[in-house]
Amino acid sequence: MRVTRAIETAGAWLLGIIWIAPLLYALWAAFHPSAYTTRFELLAPLTLQNFAEAWDAAPFARYFLNTFILVTMILAAQLVLCTLAAFAFARSRFPGSGILFGLVLLQLMIMPDVLLVENYRTMRDLGLVDTILAIGLPYMASAFGIFLLRQTFRQVPKELEEAAIVEGCGTMAILWRVYVPLAKPTYLAYGLTSVSYHWNNFLWPLVITNTVETRPLTVGLAVFASTDQGIDWAIISAATLMTSAPLLLGFLLFQRQFVQSFMRAGIR
Amino acid sequence: MTITRRTTLGLLGSAPLLAAPSVQAQAPVEITFNYPIAVGGPIPRLIDAYCEEFARANPRFRVKPIYAGSYQDTLTKTLTAMRGGDAPQIACLLSTDMFTLIDEDAVLAWDDLPGVERAWLDSFYPGFLENSRTGGKTWGIPFQRSTVVLYWNKELFREAGLNPDMPPENWAQQVEFAQKLTKRQGDTTTQWGMQIPSSGFPYWLFQALTTQNDVRLMNEEGTRTFFADPKVAEALQYWVDLANRYRVHPPGIVEWGTTPRDFFERKVAMMWTTTGNLTNVRRNAQFPFGVGMLPAGKRRGSPTGGGNLYVFKSANPAQREAAISFARFLTTPERAAHWGIETGYVAVTPASWQTPAMQAYVAEFPPAAVARDQLPHAVAELSTHENQRVTKALNDNLQAALLGRKQAGPAMNDAQQEAERILRRYR
Repeated sequence: MRVTRAIETAGAWLLGIIWIAPLLYALWAAFHPSAYTTRFELLAPLTLQNFAEAWDAAPFARYFLNTFILVTMILAAQLVLCTLAAFAFARSRFPGSGILFGLVLLQLMIMPDVLLVENYRTMRDLGLVDTILAIGLPYMASAFGIFLLRQTFRQVPKELEEAAIVEGCGTMAILWRVYVPLAKPTYLAYGLTSVSYHWNNFLWPLVITNTVETRPLTVGLAVFASTDQGIDWAIISAATLMTSAPLLLGFLLFQRQFVQSFMRAGIR
Repeated sequence: MTITRRTTLGLLGSAPLLAAPSVQAQAPVEITFNYPIAVGGPIPRLIDAYCEEFARANPRFRVKPIYAGSYQDTLTKTLTAMRGGDAPQIACLLSTDMFTLIDEDAVLAWDDLPGVERAWLDSFYPGFLENSRTGGKTWGIPFQRSTVVLYWNKELFREAGLNPDMPPENWAQQVEFAQKLTKRQGDTTTQWGMQIPSSGFPYWLFQALTTQNDVRLMNEEGTRTFFADPKVAEALQYWVDLANRYRVHPPGIVEWGTTPRDFFERKVAMMWTTTGNLTNVRRNAQFPFGVGMLPAGKRRGSPTGGGNLYVFKSANPAQREAAISFARFLTTPERAAHWGIETGYVAVTPASWQTPAMQAYVAEFPPAAVARDQLPHAVAELSTHENQRVTKALNDNLQAALLGRKQAGPAMNDAQQEAERILRRYR
């Protein structure tokens, strides 16, 4: 027994170390002059120069703002749309609801990249090319969100709903007072996956945006990843840490809640 | 002279003072210019400045630059936008994407456009035009072009008892120098003699070796490759031998992106890489370094590389005119010289090397002229129909040989078979 436990612990440590190694390396490279990028000396001088250079190399403040607007906009729209759709699918019977739900699930099977050209055409017809709204629009009616919330809503006991009706609640009030509070862990878990997905999304924002005013961090960061003139790991690391810092901090601060809500919502 | 209606109109039309307001009242013709930032730093600022200068000189036109990451990202973005009905009017893309763009029916030949003279199209270095022309038409205007050169660390040359101002002249000497420059401590090598990067796009550097071995990799129409030629395998064998037989070159795959850093940290004494690295090396090398032509095999040789300007079919006649005048504006001798000095790319016309600014620059920093002097020996970078797939077939087999999974000969035969299969339908 003790042996298996020891092996498990060792395995967990090993996986943990492999997982965190790139991050540790990025920390090392970002805080040291580029001469020490691949020379690990304990007493190597520390510096913030790399961050200053990375910050100057691109309008990161603007990119941060764009990404922030983008993820909040998408998340807000997703929460409203998915809640209403999921509630309808979970609790009301209407003709064709099965087929409709099947169509929504079908969206899960299609990679968004396949729709690149079609989406571009739609945005052009709407006159939205090169806007932040255009980056978010294709993702707002999220099939994953609808599915996840529908499953959660279906687990809510009917009795609670009936009690609310006795208390005189209308349909919207039931949704707001009974279902939404009970699905809080699901919302939290879904919110995190949505934010981190759109924080990191690259191809679609690259294609649909043209100017600094609309581009998110990932597209701005791509300038550093190009290798024509050789890679300066120090500056790349600094830029990468900078752009992923808000997500990392958020995760570290709310780690416990996230892990719990993931367990409860069943997303792994 | 009697005053008729026609003479009055003629006078009015030719009087610039009277005609000017009508021109100004029109909104300027706008064209979008997709441009890859293949290098970080000040380059977008340079392009912005050129666009503004162009708008001042030509109030009728306006160029809107769109920066789009690597060459690959830019091609994806451009083609997606095109299929979505929103193509740019002009774009800077790899010269090797020529066949892809023609097959996609995306671009126009510059020769067919009104007001483009043959003299301008012929004013570029022939080495750069090789990749810009096919079927007698010019599809790309050379703009940010580069080639492979040798960089060496003069300090390490001196330590090894070599003349620091004499780079190796030929393949045999290259091996001999590299042997002297390789330092070992027991089983580990602390300093390698030389390094030819092989990650990402090994075919480009390999093409330097094959050219030096006096063999071409493809025909001008982009429909045939000659990977199975014994001389190609011979060139590959030389590369493999550097690592395995002479042990002067790191074994396995050498990273393109970190090769300059290895050079700065004295882990390698000689490296092959692009002229586009010149400014980077000049800024970061803490020791005197030399830049020279690649050593000769049976002959000297290097492929060209880099990006050309393409004009897209989506442009209406006014936009085509704008695209032409913008391309001409970017390639005037003064601007080509300025661009070359600021970025390290090779200025694209012989005339630009005659400008006072360029002559002063070369006098102060002679390595800048090495790429130009090597141009007569340069050949077109490997480019065929279905370019991505054909180069992938070659890349995969090159890496297999460098990793020791295949022998040089069979590897090149496999690459040729795969390329044959892909290219058959284009003949």
